[in-house]
Order: sequence, then structure tokens, then C-alpha cells
Amino acid sequence: MITLYDYELSGNCYKLRLLMSILGIDYKTVPVDFYPGREHKSDWFLRLNPLGQLPVIDDDGFVLRDAQAILVYLASKYDASGTWYPRDNPELLGQISQWLAFADGITSTSSAARLHDGMFYDFDIETVRAGAHRLFRILDEHLWFGEQEGRDWLCSADHPTIADIACFPYIMLSEEGGISRQDYPAIRRWCDRVKRIKGFVVMSGVFPAGPAKAA
Amino acid sequence: MLDQARTRWHPIAAAHDLPLRHVFHGQLLGREFAVWRADDGYVNVWENRCLHRGVRLSIGINDGRELKCQYHGWRYSNRTAGCTYIPAHPADAPARTITNRTFPAVERYGLVWSATDEPQGEVPEVAGLAEGEFLGLRGIPVNAPADRVVARLRGYSFQPSGRIDGNDAEIAVEAAGDFSVALRAREGGAETLAVFFVQPVDSNRSVIRGVLNSDAEGAARLAVLRHHNERLSKLRDAIEQEAAQAPAPEPIAPQFERLPAELAEMPELTAHGRKAALRVQVARKWQAADGIAGFELKPLSGLLPTFQPGAHIDVHMPNGEIRQYSIANGPGESDRYVIGVKLERDSKGGSVCMHESVREGDVLAISEPRNNFPLRRDAVKTIFVAGGIGVTPLLAMAQALHHQELAHEFHYFTQGESQLAFRDRLDGLKGTLVPHLGLDPEATGAKLREILSVYKFGMHLYLCGPGPMLETARKIAAEAGWPEGAVHFEYFKNTNKIDDSSSFEVALARSCMTLKVPAGKTILEVMREAGIDMPSSCEQGACGTCLATVIEGEPDHQDVYLNDAERKSGTKIMTCVSRAKSARLVLDL
Repeated sequence: MITLYDYELSGNCYKLRLLMSILGIDYKTVPVDFYPGREHKSDWFLRLNPLGQLPVIDDDGFVLRDAQAILVYLASKYDASGTWYPRDNPELLGQISQWLAFADGITSTSSAARLHDGMFYDFDIETVRAGAHRLFRILDEHLWFGEQEGRDWLCSADHPTIADIACFPYIMLSEEGGISRQDYPAIRRWCDRVKRIKGFVVMSGVFPAGPAKAA
Repeated sequence: MLDQARTRWHPIAAAHDLPLRHVFHGQLLGREFAVWRADDGYVNVWENRCLHRGVRLSIGINDGRELKCQYHGWRYSNRTAGCTYIPAHPADAPARTITNRTFPAVERYGLVWSATDEPQGEVPEVAGLAEGEFLGLRGIPVNAPADRVVARLRGYSFQPSGRIDGNDAEIAVEAAGDFSVALRAREGGAETLAVFFVQPVDSNRSVIRGVLNSDAEGAARLAVLRHHNERLSKLRDAIEQEAAQAPAPEPIAPQFERLPAELAEMPELTAHGRKAALRVQVARKWQAADGIAGFELKPLSGLLPTFQPGAHIDVHMPNGEIRQYSIANGPGESDRYVIGVKLERDSKGGSVCMHESVREGDVLAISEPRNNFPLRRDAVKTIFVAGGIGVTPLLAMAQALHHQELAHEFHYFTQGESQLAFRDRLDGLKGTLVPHLGLDPEATGAKLREILSVYKFGMHLYLCGPGPMLETARKIAAEAGWPEGAVHFEYFKNTNKIDDSSSFEVALARSCMTLKVPAGKTILEVMREAGIDMPSSCEQGACGTCLATVIEGEPDHQDVYLNDAERKSGTKIMTCVSRAKSARLVLDL
């Protein structure tokens, strides 16, 4: 059984809950009081992850940290369809890694702005917001041309991958950091598509999209 | 410049920004919009705020027919933006005043156009752009005032579509306005007209929306789109750098208007009776079943008022008769009212007139829709029992539940297959529709006993049909343990013999008036004579429109609208037929 060291309001923990729900993986959670308790800096947690960061999983004794790394692990091990992290497709694997790194960029900008506004973290708010807008402009352009080419997802496959899951949470939560997505209509449409993946779950601040029109 | 811009048409979105079941987040001159396309193709441009708690509707759910707010689930109808359902008040029909603000919408050149104030004239026709033969570029948001963007766009340089790889195109400004620039690029024999509309989002924000005069296909099309995207992005960066040097203008504060007068004001004092506020045209008349004519009523101009499932209208007929008909539409079908009229030979001539005199193209006077038969949408399961033409209100209800995928059964009793009305709509209810054909009263009773045998907490029953059938069904439901609050019914007419021989006094608590009701006159008539504008519809105690709250005194109920519990409580009265057993009745009017 997988144990997820979890904080309800963390987008990085949410992306694991999301993938595990989509893949139908059973798991239990150990809540970690990130704010205001700073439990992720406590001794017991630092023994699990010396970086003092959420999330961490423990899969029958195998302990892994870093949201993007855990997505790779979970999809490689538990996705019977082999589509979320297609191990035999070098181009897709390369693209996925590219977007996982992009997701880290979203975390260090959009998530930082949210921590500043919601949990009083000391970031230069204008800088992190501007950084998020820079990334969102690039992403919106990528997704807009994707639609023109008949591509719905971040990578050039006709199905979603862990790249979409990795980028989704802190985009959806950006408004909690004062970053409007009004100027990114292609991102907003892609968010609807992610929300319509079978097994999608919400978290506080992420709303459902309602069903697509039946064909 | 921005002041005059309010009454002009501006693009607010690209057509491809509005896929089905999506809500686009738009803004024009400081005012935010929730923009969504219904499944019937209609583009709704609404103020981006739920009337309840002010949450942005752009994060709501477009279900194809209605927009649902994420916060407390208020639902608003396609076209009218009228509220159709409030989950916290499941038994009530929302008031008509709960209507969101709408803005005009026109699609042209692959763009959706709107205006924050009443727009002057039509959406601009652009010389050189033909509908159906253009290429819409990716919209480029720019953090700069529109006038600065327009000024810099005059110097925009690009290659004609056939010569993307070249680098020498000659650019000529063909036309320019406050919010648009038309440029023509020529190189070799190739030339392309590019028209750029600049959408003033706010005082310091704009969107460049470009349209080329010729389309292309496949890789060539993508190359053209990328060419412009690249050059426009560069231009945007330059404009933003320049704009950042100047102090940013104050954002435009949107004006939040009060409700329109017709929604906000109390109705005027009048003594006349039932009003026909609307004029509609019979757009279609057809045989909906044996002996049943279907009518599709469309507005002469503008939009029809919002309706909810269970609502009815009064139709004022050419022969002077007034009849009530339930609206059979499904949710979001807000461009028309569909009614079904059964031919009753022995009637006073209402249905005969509708069947024989009213033709397609005729104009009819109707009342605004009223809903005294509202549908709850919080039932664990809903059972509908329709008899004959009683199908119409229940059909509207079943379509709403079907669309929301809420559990229901639809039992429809008729003489035979040919009497099943509105087959196209019934076809949409596959899986829940159970027709019961040709049953005599005894067999009908047995079938009803079967249908109503199991009551569970949270179930609701809706009945509409001929009087004797309703009596039977209500009796069977009561015997099977259905509480009165879970049994909802609507009679076609009141067949009780009205006894109007009593005389008594009516005190109107709010109006500070005491009136004498003599034998032979109704409370409603006496109130009207005294200048009280009491709404009414059927005026025979069946529809529920003229309901009043009783504060004191004992009512003498003669209607068929109230259920037994409501009658016993003595707190409600239908003023069109019911009277008083006590010498004095105090009403909350």
C-alpha cells in the first residue's frame, strides 16, 4: 500500500492524488501540517526528506520525494495502459521531461505567488508573478498552435501524459497568487480537457468542468 | 476616446474561443464578461458575476443549455440569463427579477463582437474581407493602452501569405481608425490584406485580433499563422516596453447598473384583470398527436422572458377567450415557447379557436410565463404521471432532469399510441419514458398502485392529467405512504361547483384597506375594483396564480390547487374562487 505524505492545500501533493485517482491506485495519506505548523521542517519529516519538501511517498518501504519524480514512478509502475509515461517512445519521454521541468518553473513562480498571498511567504511578489505570466504566455501559444494542429495535450500524443498532470495544479491555482488567466484562453480550454479525464478529482480551489457534449 | 468607445462594437473573443461546454473569460473597457456558446449555437455575453454572491460566472459550468454557478449552483438560462433554479430553495420558482445582465453578441470574420453600452449601428463591414474566406490570427494580449497599440500597428510589417519566406514586402496602410488598422503587404505578385482590430480590454490592456483576407490549408496555413504570431509577439514586446516607460493609467471602473426599471419597480396600480404583456408569432403549428395541435410561439422582437419547467402562459385568443397552456420546452430552449392544445369540442371555444382559427404567422397576445408548479431538483428520484394532454408541464420537467442526469421515471397514460404527443421530445427521454396505452379507469388504478407502491424518503411525485385520474392517483399515493409534501399536482380545471352565496369582509393588512365581498362577487374582483393589482390566470381555482396568505379568519376553500395539508393549515387562499367561513378574513396583501 502506498502512503502519501500529504498536505491538502498543496498543488504538488494534489497532482499525485490526481494521478492515483485516474489510475485507480489505492493509497492512504499521512497529513503533514505544512502551514501554519511547518511540520515539513520537523525532525521526523526531515528524516524522510532532508530537503524538507512535500510530497513524499512510501510504497511498501520504497521512499521517494519530488512530485515530478513520483509521477514518473507511479505511472511506470502502475499504469497498465502504458500511456501516461510511455517507456518505449523516446520522443514522448523527452517531451514529458521537458514539461516536467516546465512544471517546476510553474511551481517556483505561480505556486510561490500563492504562498506569498495565502501563507505569508517572503517572495518578491512582482517578480514571481511576472515569471508566471512569462511561462503562461509560452504555454498558451504552445496550446493554441496545438489546437490548430489537432493536438489536445502538452505532448504530441493523442492522449494525456503525466506532463499534463504535472503542469495542471499550479496553473489552476494561479489566481490565488493574483495571477489571472484571462489572457490565456488556450490554457483555459486545456484546463477543461484535463478536468474531463476519467477519474479526475478536485481540491480546494480547483473546480469541476461538467461533462463534455455527448457525441 | 474610450468614452465614445462604449457604444461601439468591439471584438471580445475569437469564434474558436467558444467551443461547446466552455465558458470564456472576456473583458471590454474594464467590464468583465462570461461568454459561452449554448448547444443550439447561441452566443451568450453576460456580466461576469453571479447575482447571488458575486462569484465569476466564467468559472461556472456550461451544460449546453444553462450556465451553473460554481458556488451555490444557481442556474441561468441560455439567451435570457434568467435564473431557472436555486438549489437552496428547491420548491420555489425563482423570481423573474433574478436575471443577469446580458450584452449583445454578433459573430463576424471569425470574431465575437459586443459592446458595453447600447451599440450604435451595425458591426463594421470591412472592405476586402469576405465572410467565409479569411484566416483568423491568434489573438495577442498586450499590456498597453489601445491607442498606443493602434499607433504601433501602423508600422507592423509582414510578408504576404504566398511569400512567407521573403523579407522585402512593401506595406501600405489601407485604412486606420481608433481601434483598427488595415495593412496590405505586396511582394512579387503576391499580396495579402491584414486587418487588425484592437480590443480595449482596460485602460492599459488590449488584444490584437488580426484577420487576413485569404485562407490557406495545412502546412501553409500554419506557416502563415506562425509568421504573424512571431512578428506580432515581437511588436507586443516593443509596445509593452514603451508603455512601461509611461505611468500606467488608472483601470476603468465598470459601472454596475441597477436592475432595469421593469424588473425593479413595483407593478403599477391598475384595476384591469389579466394582462397580455407579450406579443408572439405562431412560427409553427403542427399535429403533435391525434386531436392535439402543437404551437411554436416566437417573439416578434427581442427575447422571451425566462421560464422554468412547470410554467404556463395565458393565451388571449382572437375570440376573446383566455386559456392557460403549459410550456413544454426543455431547458435552455429560450428562443420559443412550445405549447400543446387538445381539441375539446364541448368547451367554450378556446381550443376550437386555437385548432381552427389560429394559423402559422398569426400574432397572439400572451402573458408572461408564471410558475405555480415548480420542479424540485433535489429528489433522490422523481416520478412523473401524465394523463393525456397533462403531459406538457411534465414533459418540460422530465427534459430538465434528463439533461442533468437526475433519476426519474416518466409514466404517460393515453388512449392509444396515436395520442402520444410531442414524439420528438419523448424520443429524447428514452430509458425513462413508460407509455401506458388504452387502459380503462380500473386498469389505470391498478397500474398506478404498481407505480406508486414504493415510497422512499426524498422521492417526489408530479401529477398532471384529467381530474378523476388525479383524484385516484393522489388517493393511491396517500395510501402507499407518500407524504403530501412529496405529491405535486396540477389540474386542468376546477370542476367543483362554486358556491358564491356567502358575504364577508376582507381586510388587506399591508394595503390598509377593508373591503366587503358580497354574494356573487369574488375576492379577486372586489380587490381589483379597489385598485389592487392582483395577478391572476385561470380564475377558476386551478393554476395557483392568485394565491394569497391568510393572516386571520377561516377560508372556505373551493379551489383544486391547494393540497389537503395546505387547506387545513388555513394560511393560504385562492382569491379567485375561495371565500370565507368567518365574517372577516385578513390577508397579507
